[in-house]
Amino acid sequence: MPVDINIIDSLNLFEDLSHAELEEIAFLMSRIRVTEGEAITRRGAPAHTIFILLSGNFMVFFKEGRSYTLHNKGDIIGLSTVVIPFYYTGTAVALSDGVVLSMPGQELLRLIESNPVMSDKIMKKINQIVSARLPFVTGRC
Amino acid sequence: MVNLLIEFLSNTGFALAGYQNIVMILVGIVLIYLGIAKGYEPLLLIPIGFGILMGNIPVIRDFGLGIYEKGSFLNYMYYGVMHDIYPPLIFLGVGALTDFSALLARPSLMLLGAAAQVGIFATFLGALALGFAPNEAASIGIIGGADGPTAIFLTAVLAPRLIGPVAIAAYSYMALVPVIQPPIMRLLTSRKERLIKMEEPREVSKKEKLIFPIVGFLLCCFIAPGALPLLGMLFFGNLLKESVVAERLARAARSSIIDTVTILLGVAVGASTQGDIFLTSKSIGIFILGASAFAVATAAGVIFAKFMNLFLRQKINPLIGAAGVSAVPNSARVVQIVGQAEDPTNFLLMHAMAPNISGVIGSAIAAGILWSFLGG
Amino acid sequence: MYGLDAISAHNGWQLAALGISIVFTCLILLSLAISQIHKALDFWDRRYIYYQRIKKLVQRKHRSEATVSDPVLPKNVKESACQCKLLIERIGEPFPLPRLIDFSKKCGLLNSHSSVNDLLQAKLIIPDGKGYFLWNHEVEKNIKVSMKMNS
Repeated sequence: MPVDINIIDSLNLFEDLSHAELEEIAFLMSRIRVTEGEAITRRGAPAHTIFILLSGNFMVFFKEGRSYTLHNKGDIIGLSTVVIPFYYTGTAVALSDGVVLSMPGQELLRLIESNPVMSDKIMKKINQIVSARLPFVTGRC
Repeated sequence: MVNLLIEFLSNTGFALAGYQNIVMILVGIVLIYLGIAKGYEPLLLIPIGFGILMGNIPVIRDFGLGIYEKGSFLNYMYYGVMHDIYPPLIFLGVGALTDFSALLARPSLMLLGAAAQVGIFATFLGALALGFAPNEAASIGIIGGADGPTAIFLTAVLAPRLIGPVAIAAYSYMALVPVIQPPIMRLLTSRKERLIKMEEPREVSKKEKLIFPIVGFLLCCFIAPGALPLLGMLFFGNLLKESVVAERLARAARSSIIDTVTILLGVAVGASTQGDIFLTSKSIGIFILGASAFAVATAAGVIFAKFMNLFLRQKINPLIGAAGVSAVPNSARVVQIVGQAEDPTNFLLMHAMAPNISGVIGSAIAAGILWSFLGG
Repeated sequence: MYGLDAISAHNGWQLAALGISIVFTCLILLSLAISQIHKALDFWDRRYIYYQRIKKLVQRKHRSEATVSDPVLPKNVKESACQCKLLIERIGEPFPLPRLIDFSKKCGLLNSHSSVNDLLQAKLIIPDGKGYFLWNHEVEKNIKVSMKMNS
């Protein structure tokens, strides 16, 4: 069931998008309730779905126990759906009950590839986030 | 050649059939119809129905075909019934299927399962009053436990000739729980009581679910050793399920073993149901008493729940007392339906599972007690 | 023989009364036993934490040391803060957050994920910037100071 466009409009990742672009994205998304302790991604699994936090708190952990936590609306989990290596590099576990938006990575990729303007807006932000998180993944902090 | 032909014809079922055979065959067909077309306990009524057909084909005595003739195929199948092998194996599968979380989360609800067993003993008294011998009365009373394997287990020991009518009564009434229980539940409760919403049960840890079968088995069997075969297998099956490491065994218990034993039990019980026992006033008495057993058990459970509410701060919905009748999960579903008829947002099913499951334990204990008193 | 005479003749009343009494006794005892299982398991799982508390009580006689038992936090966060601090002392700092959660679960801390999250929100646990986490002694001191001022 498509998500309300007003929810997506408020997210940092999509703040530069036009109404039509938001509608396209909203159509692909669905709301998922997660419960405390539930893992939404597992390290090493193929990255099929990207998640955006609406409420709740998450921990994403990597090899050797390195981890970071996400608490804010708009935080993204599962960026490996749109960037290499296209498998989840960390395991994301809910620290509390919450709600996330999920979107099939393939659909987002297709959308980005078919719309260069949207691609530019979204991928810049995704690359910024990936750069910030890379030290946790590689261990070179 | 003509003599041979005459001899052959005189050995056919057509020549040997009496009215009892015909009536019992019709009974078997009715049970098969109820199982297939109406969906009443099909896993039991179809084997029992067909077993009745097999057991009531007229055959020459001493030809090694009848169920009571040593060495016949049906006799070998019947061995497991007579020597109480099948019911405990079914309980093994029941244990491997059952999740005791509801019971562990609120142990006080076990008492509702105990209260429902009043139906067994009240029916026992009723059967004695109607002139049945004590062992027969106990076999009839156990119908009130609403547990087929338990009824067959006890009847095989105390009154083996009554296995057929007792088993058919037990399984038929288990299927009729949605008809028998609701009027009694509504009669004994007020609308205000039916609207009671119960608080969410606490979460039960894995360790609790592992420890419970061992503690439960030891405690129950130390008090009522007669329940050892049934409760031993019930708790063993549950331990296999909860241990996770023995998942293969648990899977076998709750699928292939229980299915195989159900087939053997159903056919054997059906085949043992002969016209000379079934088509008598005794059977009519068994069916009437069986219905009253279910009614009394339902009433006892509901009334006890109301009694408990006098002392509890967190009230329980008295409807769940009816789930102490251990027709799992039918009576719990009936509680859910009756509760939701008053308030669609009231979900009583999980709460009702606690007395439902404790009713299984309670009826097995009651069977063990009756066996200790009257067996041997 | 029929009716009440038949029942009396076969000791029916006694059998029925005794039978139902035994069923009730058995299930009452079972329900009592079950109701204690989770408490016994709780106690067993937290034995390390109780041992540490007793140890601290004994050590307090020799040196004055403020404990984390009275921070100005909601009661449930206070309890998990207390338990987690002991576990962190055992793991050592900086510690991997998943390890703290696993360890808390094994020691019987209910809702270990949300408890750790509460401590993160209260800034009692902070990241070290390298993927690991530290116990925030500064915040702990401030909490204790503000508690003393309030009392």
